[in-house]
Amino acid sequence: MGLSSAATIPSDAVKLCVFDRTRGQREGEEVEKILFFHPPELPLGDQLSVVGLSEGLITFTRIFSPDAACEVIEAERHSHVFYQAEPDIWMVMVVERNRELEAIWRIEALRSILKEVHSLFIMFFGSIRTMLGKESSGSVVRSHLYSFITDYLFDFSSGKKLQLPTFRDSLKERGTVQMLTVGREAAVEIQNNKNSYVFLYCSILNSSGRLCLRLKSLVRVLESCAGSVRCHSLILFHDLLVSTSLYPDDTVNLYTYATMRMSPRALSSSSRSWSYLYRGSTAAHLTTGSVLPTSSSSSEHIHRSRDTSPSGDDRYVIVRPLQQDKWSKGKDGFLVTERWSSDAQTLNSSIPTIWLKQTEEMMYLCAHQHKNVTIILLIPVTSINSVERDIPIVKQQFLENASLKILKLEEKLSKGWGGENAYHVSGYRYLLVDGDRNVSRASPAAKVTTLAKESLVAMCKLREEVDLEKSIMKLDDERCEKDLEVCIRAKNNAWVIARAMRGKELYMVLEKANETLLYASEAMDKFSNRYCNGAFSLD
Amino acid sequence: MSQLRHQGLANKLGGKLVKLGSERLELQHEPNRAMAKNYGSCVASKIPEVERDMCLKEFCALKNCMNNVDSVLSVGLIDMDPRASSSRASIGSSGSGALSHVYIQYPPMRCSIPGSKGVFYDDGNKLLLSPTSDQVFSWKVAPFDPHAEPTSDSISDGPMLSIRYSLDAKFLAVQRSSHEIQFWNKETGRTFSHKCRPESESILGFFWTDCPTCNIVLVKTSGLDLSIYDSESQSLRLVESKRINVNWYIYTHESRLVLLASGMQCKSFTGFQGLPNPLPLGAPGVPYGEPSICLLSSAGIVRLPKFEMLMAKSEANSKPVLAAEDIHVITVYGRIYCLQVDRTAMLLHCYRFYRDAVVQQGSLPIYSSKVAVSVVDNVLLVHQVDAKVVILYDLFADSRAPISAPLPLLLRGYRRAGMGSFGLTSKDDESSGSKQTSDHEMTLYKDGWAFLIPDLICDTTDGLLWKIHLDLDAISASSSDVPTVLEFLQRRKLEANKAKRLCLALARTMIVERRPVNIVSRAMDVLITSYSHAIKTGSYFKGMKAEKSPASCTQRIHCPKSAAEDFTHTGDSRGGVLKIDSASEISNESHRRYSMLSDSDSEGNVGPSSACRKGIMGTETFVAKVQPSSQLSGPTHVPLDVDKAETEDSHVTTAAISPDEIYLFVFAQADEEMGGDPSYLVAVMVEFLRSANLERIRIYPNVYVLMIKLLARSDRFAELGLFVIDKIIEPSKEVAYQLLLAGRRHFPTRKLGIDMLRQLHLHHDYILSLCQDGYYLEALRYARKLKVVTIRPSLFLESACASNDSQRLATVLRFFADFIPGFRSTSDHATYCHILSQMNSSSLSA
Repeated sequence: MGLSSAATIPSDAVKLCVFDRTRGQREGEEVEKILFFHPPELPLGDQLSVVGLSEGLITFTRIFSPDAACEVIEAERHSHVFYQAEPDIWMVMVVERNRELEAIWRIEALRSILKEVHSLFIMFFGSIRTMLGKESSGSVVRSHLYSFITDYLFDFSSGKKLQLPTFRDSLKERGTVQMLTVGREAAVEIQNNKNSYVFLYCSILNSSGRLCLRLKSLVRVLESCAGSVRCHSLILFHDLLVSTSLYPDDTVNLYTYATMRMSPRALSSSSRSWSYLYRGSTAAHLTTGSVLPTSSSSSEHIHRSRDTSPSGDDRYVIVRPLQQDKWSKGKDGFLVTERWSSDAQTLNSSIPTIWLKQTEEMMYLCAHQHKNVTIILLIPVTSINSVERDIPIVKQQFLENASLKILKLEEKLSKGWGGENAYHVSGYRYLLVDGDRNVSRASPAAKVTTLAKESLVAMCKLREEVDLEKSIMKLDDERCEKDLEVCIRAKNNAWVIARAMRGKELYMVLEKANETLLYASEAMDKFSNRYCNGAFSLD
Repeated sequence: MSQLRHQGLANKLGGKLVKLGSERLELQHEPNRAMAKNYGSCVASKIPEVERDMCLKEFCALKNCMNNVDSVLSVGLIDMDPRASSSRASIGSSGSGALSHVYIQYPPMRCSIPGSKGVFYDDGNKLLLSPTSDQVFSWKVAPFDPHAEPTSDSISDGPMLSIRYSLDAKFLAVQRSSHEIQFWNKETGRTFSHKCRPESESILGFFWTDCPTCNIVLVKTSGLDLSIYDSESQSLRLVESKRINVNWYIYTHESRLVLLASGMQCKSFTGFQGLPNPLPLGAPGVPYGEPSICLLSSAGIVRLPKFEMLMAKSEANSKPVLAAEDIHVITVYGRIYCLQVDRTAMLLHCYRFYRDAVVQQGSLPIYSSKVAVSVVDNVLLVHQVDAKVVILYDLFADSRAPISAPLPLLLRGYRRAGMGSFGLTSKDDESSGSKQTSDHEMTLYKDGWAFLIPDLICDTTDGLLWKIHLDLDAISASSSDVPTVLEFLQRRKLEANKAKRLCLALARTMIVERRPVNIVSRAMDVLITSYSHAIKTGSYFKGMKAEKSPASCTQRIHCPKSAAEDFTHTGDSRGGVLKIDSASEISNESHRRYSMLSDSDSEGNVGPSSACRKGIMGTETFVAKVQPSSQLSGPTHVPLDVDKAETEDSHVTTAAISPDEIYLFVFAQADEEMGGDPSYLVAVMVEFLRSANLERIRIYPNVYVLMIKLLARSDRFAELGLFVIDKIIEPSKEVAYQLLLAGRRHFPTRKLGIDMLRQLHLHHDYILSLCQDGYYLEALRYARKLKVVTIRPSLFLESACASNDSQRLATVLRFFADFIPGFRSTSDHATYCHILSQMNSSSLSA
């Protein structure tokens, strides 16, 4: 399927598996456990040994800590990173340890990859457990996971190897969103913009509701309908989040997906150096466009194939939301996707649907792009009776009501935007994470690369320490957030500082500040007062 | 023939004459039943459309409809809006809830005097004059009082062509013939006659003026004579004369403009304007509304460029002659327009006078060969006399579309006798004779009606004077295009208070009805822009001043802030978040203030909190809710109540609504009424903020507090965080406390509130909140850094004690012992030392 390049990835470097502990309990059926294994060409016996070892470790550690089993096993030559995605469904990443510098990584950074791929999977397909519940043989889950994770890992492929985040990415935080800082005026404008999208559909319902007021019988139906319709929207500028009406978790997922596949940068499919999260400078783009079915004939083909295969048949089409070049920009500014049909129950094939974790709703996803502004509109599936009829109406309404506003918004944002290095603070290399809101801000990637290896390795280690400290704190008391400050002097005389205060974390590397600890601390305070409203000022 | 046609039409339409929803149709005149049916069904079927769009298309359709009905009925037909009808239910007029946008109020001013020689209107002094053979009776018509008693001056007998008092009311001038004007000095009783050469010229008329160079202007066929009447020397001294052949002229005092018609068709016009010298700059009613005109006023008389009127020709060779009654000069929004009736084209041409030009500005269609024009509160009323309907135009906007559908003039407050079917038995004892005459009196659009400038109707046959009123309720209820209606209402000055109340109600209703956000947004724009304009021109504060003395005025301007503070503080203390000294002090103080207030107003007082919780709407409660707001807005303010609301109408000069009022009467009430998902209301409030931001109007924190409440209620904390971080919700103490309150359910939000306190440098509150959350060490550190000494040590000690950690308690104790001199001798020290030792011993024993 599709991505033949996956087969060429050397099998020894990274292994990733997903397995279900509840399956394959009897001897000889162990292979049933495995839902996904990467690299797929690894002999089954080797796959089973990885899964078996992992399961054994989990079972063993559970004796001591029933709630939180092992997180990581560091062996001599391999590290096993565990992540319990769903009850009894585990994701394990096995990475090779060697003496090379490139192999220094942070375990939490690796785990965040597992978290991310799982939460994205849930966003598109729902949980693995539910999927298994629907179809117990596991073939549906396996084929979905296979295409999904393979597509996901494609982003990490560098040449023939998987390039996992190393110490060089220690000033990045996966699973957070990058916000665009805007002035109040622009913010009000954005909100007002957003409202006009969010209430777009409501207003359609309402206007028809008014018309129908005279036909009294319909009123109640429409009222209940209009009352519960809650559209959501997400606005991005370049790869930065501008506004959202979603809950933080869903925002992170959708933001991640949008920056991966829908932002102008992702669409232009030329990786740019300033990208904050993905691919950085190392990613090379492979096989661009080779698997892209451009003409409408292919979608027709799918229609036909769907028509000929009633439900229950195994000839379903697997949606691959993470496929490269999934999206393209249509003439009207809306992003279109060629193939999108999930299994069985959905009737449509062209409008993507996503699942919101927080509100537990299925939403139709419409994305509109004007220059660098991407607007993602989510419409509850339940509020739409006929996709073929209603979605075009919504889009039409959107264009009529909002296009001028979008134009203005784009202008305003472009004018106020400082460019790729907008958030660069000279002299500092920093990462600022707001854990409450899943928001992070970091020095531009291009600036981070100017740091010496020693500083970055030191930062990587420091972060590992902080991660550990945080997890211990968490075990002690869920709510209590203790303050934390660590300053270390790296080999190259750089100051590497971490400070965590009441849910916010600030990491920074000061290479030029090689005077005294006091100096470094003052530099930190200055930064805190200037850019963080004094959130990290200690005394 | 025509009768037949109507019959057919009526049959066709008759089927539709059933109940159209809630629209009720009633017919009154038996003989014209078929036609009434015809007309009624036409109107009934068209009105909803016209009403909806105010669009010309439906309007023309209605016009066609009406043209088919030759004989016009006094129909009061449709009761469209239950709200409107309920407000009018007590009036019980002849139309019995007729739909109309303009009304005249019964009783009229009666100005019939036995032996009267006719009625004259002196628009310079706003007097209605009715001379008899030896006396002249005068009624003041502004302000209009139907029971005004006339004053009289005695004059000598003789023919009377026109009669006018001088502007200082000392002299009376009477035109006796086309050659003679007679002057009376009221004080001395001396008379003087001015005569012109009868062979060469004749006097067309005269008027007094407040020009600096002259005080009376005589219009003769040979031109204008600007003269000064000197009572001492009993002479008329000619200052200047303008030589023009004049056929007829028009003068209105409000515009100070005299139009002289000349030429064969009388369609060439020369305009002169006499301006009073000390013209206040920017005062309402400045001609043209352009201050530059003042420069010319020293010249006294300004000659406007000559211009020609357009006239459609019915035939190629015919030359229609323009008559004086076809020209109307009106003053709207301080601009002067001339309206010319073109009967051939059935158009009302509209010319606007500028200082240096006369520009034609569109034409209005007319549907009657006889047209009269009135101006009420800057709204142009075109009476289609034959059709007996009025069309309203607001010439402020560029569009020449009518404001509302053509509807009949309504006679309010008059109970037609003999209408037993309406259950009005009280009038049964009246004699049939008086009934007939009164019925005749009350006939609308009689031949004897004269339309006086600007908004009066004089019934010359019966000697009645009516004042025309706009029915703002009906106008605002007639259109669903709320922003336009709001614009219209915001421009109303005469009934500013009523317009204001209607605006608030409209805005609230449209939010409660969840109209599309972009429309609400436009409405907000209208309100805010109007307010901003009022602030800039000062009319807003002028209105305030008129309401009360200047001293309390300034207080009122500044006090919404303090009021808001008080409000939120009480809210907080009621919520019980902060059991701390300072907050309770504040709330105590505000309670004291409230109690003082409620003592001061004696009757029917509604406590602020109870009124705020009250959720039922309606006019009574609306007024009741005015009360707490005015209480909040300052201790000296006298609360509005139902009776006073009407009397205050005249005091408020602008309908502009302050953001605070929008909050109180729109958002806060809409919130109560709507319930459910508040996201819509939040969206509307963001629109409101955007508007205010554009106009640079400051928003008081109560709006933000409400937003936080709404967002928190729907658990949209993520958005709330975004709002706070992007500073859409501007930081303030009230906002911070509301965040703390909301943060009880969502910890990050609470942190936002605490951070906001820190950023606002509210050290005291910041440290208190930190202590409450158990961050007493951080609080101590912060207190030491910023030298905050207002907080009792026991607070920290209590908090440390609660943590049950002896080390920490010891740390805190040590801190105070080291940094507060004399702490060791306080009771706190002793208490906590004891607790500490207990803790230590228990841990040792364990």
